[in-house]
Amino acid sequence: MSLMDDHKRLIGEFTEFLGAENVLESKVPRERRVFVTIKRDRLRDAVSYLRDHEGLTHITTISGVDAGDGIEILYHLTKKDLSLGLRVKVPMEEPVVDSIVDILSGAPLYEREVHDILGVVFEGHPNMKRLILPDEWPEGVQPLLKKWSLEKIRETIHEKEW
Amino acid sequence: MSEREFIIPVGPQHPALKEPANFTFRVDGEYVVDVEPRIGYNHRGIEKAMESRTYIQNLYIVERVCGICSNSHQTCYTQNVEEVLGMEIPERAKYIRVLLAELERIHSHLLWLGVAAHEIGFDTLFYYIWRDREVVMDLLELISGNRVNYAIPTIGGVRRDIAEDKIPQYLKMLDVLEERTKFYKNICATERTVFVRVAGVGFLSKEDAVRLSSVGPTLRASGVASDIRADSPYLVYDEVPWNVISYNGGDVLANVLVRVDEVFESVRICKYCLEHLPDGPIRVKFSPLGKVPEGEAVSLVEAPRGELVHYIQSRGGDKPYRYKIRAPTLGNIPAVCEKLRGGYIADIPIVLAGIDPCFSCTDRMVFVDENKDKRWEMSGEQLRRYGIEWYK
Repeated sequence: MSLMDDHKRLIGEFTEFLGAENVLESKVPRERRVFVTIKRDRLRDAVSYLRDHEGLTHITTISGVDAGDGIEILYHLTKKDLSLGLRVKVPMEEPVVDSIVDILSGAPLYEREVHDILGVVFEGHPNMKRLILPDEWPEGVQPLLKKWSLEKIRETIHEKEW
Repeated sequence: MSEREFIIPVGPQHPALKEPANFTFRVDGEYVVDVEPRIGYNHRGIEKAMESRTYIQNLYIVERVCGICSNSHQTCYTQNVEEVLGMEIPERAKYIRVLLAELERIHSHLLWLGVAAHEIGFDTLFYYIWRDREVVMDLLELISGNRVNYAIPTIGGVRRDIAEDKIPQYLKMLDVLEERTKFYKNICATERTVFVRVAGVGFLSKEDAVRLSSVGPTLRASGVASDIRADSPYLVYDEVPWNVISYNGGDVLANVLVRVDEVFESVRICKYCLEHLPDGPIRVKFSPLGKVPEGEAVSLVEAPRGELVHYIQSRGGDKPYRYKIRAPTLGNIPAVCEKLRGGYIADIPIVLAGIDPCFSCTDRMVFVDENKDKRWEMSGEQLRRYGIEWYK
């Protein structure tokens, strides 16, 4: 089976498992790359399925993107010949998603990074402390959100007594 | 926490290499019970900065993510932008990019080997290795004009060509590197001074290495033959003959052997690239004000320290909407914590150095001011001396 056929098989079986109504988008832009967008409340089922049935045990990182109308969280799961981007979208006013640290042990630091820079709360993470922002960094300033321009960040952190 | 246990903060002033990270150790006598990492002391806001600069300007920012593996970051970045552009680069450019990537791996691994020798108090070996590392530095300078930040990959190909009449000289220099590395491999595998300090130290099992999603030489030293160059080949790694190196030891010795053997493989790849360099142009044109269509891409590269990933999201225009970088050291932090648990305090420097940490890569986002910690701290140098004295 060619790689492209195998990627399509993966998407087909994955959609069947999760239910078509829960898979919002899927695409195979080229060999070794797959992107799937799912509903946020099915994240843990999806990660468990991919780990157990597709051998995607390695988490490369988690990217967060301020998409304007919400925050996209992209879980990069990798194995030989495949890098799969599993995407969920959370609303701006309630940026909460289930933690997957008990499913993939490589995830804790990446979840803390996304928490620092975009303010996403990973429910169930045992240690949601700051990882990369300094201890004195003002609460509520999530530097990678588009509403925080460089100038605005600079003004905010300089008003504070260091 | 039991009564016998104490807390020792190590860092943020260079716990192993001369870069900041903080590890809080819980110790019982000489044993490490647990360890908690804190990073971020080197955050410079690069991801945010990239959102407000054009694709060509970002080429030079991304190169400055790291001083050691600058070429890996630039290769990863250009691949990403080219994928969104739908641009195919010339064969000759691919060979030159691979050549630079492997020369960079040689210099990075030799640098690490020297640092590892220093951490165990074998400074003679350290000076010898760094003397010979100058050969590959000279080679990089001859090819690119620079010792660091070579600025060779660009969007659409490479910036400088290889002069055909210089190739015999380059091959001779690669022979010298191979010869000297053979000598060091022999020392590392047989010299007692090295052996007693690295064998069995900082153990990581194969299961834990996979479970904690560790990457690169750290993963391969625990018996997992996984390498992005083979698992997800980019450029011409599927045309060039080479082998994935892995050892089963899981300790610092296996880390040493993996890196030494990878130097041999890199020398082999460099020679192949120089001998089989295809003719043709070295780049296709990309305008300095060039726009990139909407799209997203993930680019994976095997940097000297392991799997490097960049993610780009473009919404059209001349600047990326979001650019995400994950350097290999962050992927290896859970693994190094696991390696330190149950070990001796005296082994902390060499185990930390064992993953070849690179924190300017790992920390990218924010300017940092460090509050003075009132607790007692051990500097890197004190800890290194402690390690050497303890083993006397």
